[in-house]
Amino acid sequence: MAFLTYCQCYTAVHQHNTEPLNGWRKGIAATTNQEPNIRLAMFLKDYIVDIFRATKSLLTGMKRTGYYFVHPKEIITEQYPDNRDTLVMADRFRGEVIMPHDENREHACTGCTACELACPNATIKIVTKFDITPEGKKKKALDTFVYHLELCTMCGLCVEACPTDAIKMGQKFEHSVYDRSMLTKKLNLPGSKIREGIE
Amino acid sequence: MTASQVLFYAISTVILGSGILAVTSQRIFRSAIWLLLCLVGIAGLYFWMQVEFIAAVQIVVYVGGIVVLIIFSIFLTQESGKELPKPIMRRTVFALLATLFGFAFTYNLVYGHGFAAPTGEAFNVSVAEIGTQMLSTTNNGYILPFEVVSMLLLSAMIGCIVIAMKPPSNKNAGADMLFAQDVPGTRLITPGVVEPDLISEEV
Amino acid sequence: MFSLQGITNSIQTWLVRNFTGTWVLVIECAIVMLLAITLFAVLGLVLVWMERKVAAHMQIRLGPNRVGPMGIFQTSADTLKLILKEGLTPDGADKLLFNLAPFVVMIVAMLLLAPIAFARGFQVWDINIGVLYITAISSLSVIGILMAGWASNNKYSLLGAMRSGAQIVSYELSAGLSILTIVVLTGSLQIGDIINAQQNGWWLFKGHIPVVIAFVIFMIAATAETNRAPFDLAEAESELTAGFHTEYSGMKFALFFLAEYINIFIVCAIGATLFLGGWMPLHIGSWEGFNHVMDYIPSSVWFFVKTFLLIFLMMWFRWTFPRLRVDQLLSLEWKYLLPISLFNLLLATVVAIFEWHF
Repeated sequence: MAFLTYCQCYTAVHQHNTEPLNGWRKGIAATTNQEPNIRLAMFLKDYIVDIFRATKSLLTGMKRTGYYFVHPKEIITEQYPDNRDTLVMADRFRGEVIMPHDENREHACTGCTACELACPNATIKIVTKFDITPEGKKKKALDTFVYHLELCTMCGLCVEACPTDAIKMGQKFEHSVYDRSMLTKKLNLPGSKIREGIE
Repeated sequence: MTASQVLFYAISTVILGSGILAVTSQRIFRSAIWLLLCLVGIAGLYFWMQVEFIAAVQIVVYVGGIVVLIIFSIFLTQESGKELPKPIMRRTVFALLATLFGFAFTYNLVYGHGFAAPTGEAFNVSVAEIGTQMLSTTNNGYILPFEVVSMLLLSAMIGCIVIAMKPPSNKNAGADMLFAQDVPGTRLITPGVVEPDLISEEV
Repeated sequence: MFSLQGITNSIQTWLVRNFTGTWVLVIECAIVMLLAITLFAVLGLVLVWMERKVAAHMQIRLGPNRVGPMGIFQTSADTLKLILKEGLTPDGADKLLFNLAPFVVMIVAMLLLAPIAFARGFQVWDINIGVLYITAISSLSVIGILMAGWASNNKYSLLGAMRSGAQIVSYELSAGLSILTIVVLTGSLQIGDIINAQQNGWWLFKGHIPVVIAFVIFMIAATAETNRAPFDLAEAESELTAGFHTEYSGMKFALFFLAEYINIFIVCAIGATLFLGGWMPLHIGSWEGFNHVMDYIPSSVWFFVKTFLLIFLMMWFRWTFPRLRVDQLLSLEWKYLLPISLFNLLLATVVAIFEWHF
């Protein structure tokens, strides 16, 4: 029985002779033109070297996992709900789009809509208005920065597109709410205005 | 009835029942499984007779080897999952007659043999004893049949390799040449005669 | 000192005094069955938990840690879930064989328990062909897998079963040959004899080169025979969903799952018995004091420590190595393990004849 299986398997193996485990055939193919006993010697050498290399590479792998096994301080698991107070997110983590305001409730958004254009799935909608400058000119300004969190894929293209660095990616990730409408956010605070000197 | 007898009848019932089911089942795979149960039952009978070595060999050879082989061939056969057609009447009748004849023949032989009453001394069935007997060249040794069987198996083995071997192709002719030279008669195989791909795909 | 042999002996004498021959046998059978089932349940719970913990720590994770301290009740909770789940039988399945297959696998695992010596004098059946019995019975386990794969009427199951069959049948050879190395050195198939031969040192140390090679081959073949990674082609999740038990759910799935872990325990117990002396304490040559101290540790502790050490080794394999492809799997067996183990058997025979072992 075993033998028949061998025959079947043998033919199966036969068709892949470029495999790492197939030192047998490689050795033969490389040394066909030599004397039979040299061929045999070469083959045996290749065979043993093959086994030696395989064992070595396997042991290397086992050394690594074994090291991790006996070094519990390497463990990277975050026990999330338990460590909420001490949880520090990575710097580059992208949780949501936020618009930083300074202490005077001033932001840096000019309402240029570059972010709206950059967004691949229409997450951002910018409503603009016209301010009257002291010189009496009309000037385009931000009225409402509408951000649909439920549509956002946190790709960060809007942040890259922004010419005045008015928006950036925040690190808050606990966004679950009971109503979908609560995910539509206004990013500019009520009564905020553009910081002086930003064009 | 002693417990030993109860066991004997239980094992015999399993053997006979699964044997009958093996030949009457309409599904080929179930037949194989019933045959397996039958052979396991026979191994159980050997265990009951306390000839453990024979029992283990029965399991290794018949159950682990032959039935697995049968199951593999069923797996590789097309439409083996369907129910078999009912055998035609004439065939059934002849099969029954053949069975009856075989039974009568065996019964006649067994009845006429006149078994000697058990002498009470246990016969030695230790593995060492069997091994010595198998390789002994003295009067009751089995060395000759043993060697003949070995030769038969060896030739079967070489034959298997020859059949399973891929005929030399141009792409890696060098690789196959060595095998061709090592096994006499390989050169007789022409491409196209052997189709190893047919059997190798599934494994 | 605590001794399992004493307990079994006292039970035996008490039974013989109070019952007739047949009833003693029946009651002892019942006790053995009860013990086997208890052992299986406990082993299942412990080994699954151990596997998950070992896996986690090797992957720099924590593993189950919510249900009970260190998550030790996680597997109990999982078992409860599986018991409560419905055991579905697919419409196109061969219902009889589909429902029979998990039991076949379990029964084979139970039969394999018979000749294993758990402690000094604590063995179900010290059969005189012990090692051959194990080899024979373990070849039956493939039948259950083939049955499951066929009866599910599912291509993944069938492919998984075929792979598993080819794998078990081929790796049985090198496992058998590496076991034979020890048989050659001991000169007996009986488990009791093999353990007693290791009174003055385990075969792994006494038999030096051939036994070390045989041990390595045995561990590889045992990993393959139990269908565990890196040889888990039979249930390769990424290719075959779950292989031969794709269609199984609920308790029937749990039986397959349990049988896998029981088989691991059994092959490791056999490995520990053959190569590491089973329940035999660690004895070093003529260090009387040291040997005496070692004798104070109960033999069952020795057995379980060795077995679990080997189980840990297999888990280590599983969580380190990537899965082999089918052709790699077979060329590993037929081009490397089998020739090496044949050669090694020859070497062992030479060592045994000239008594070059210690």
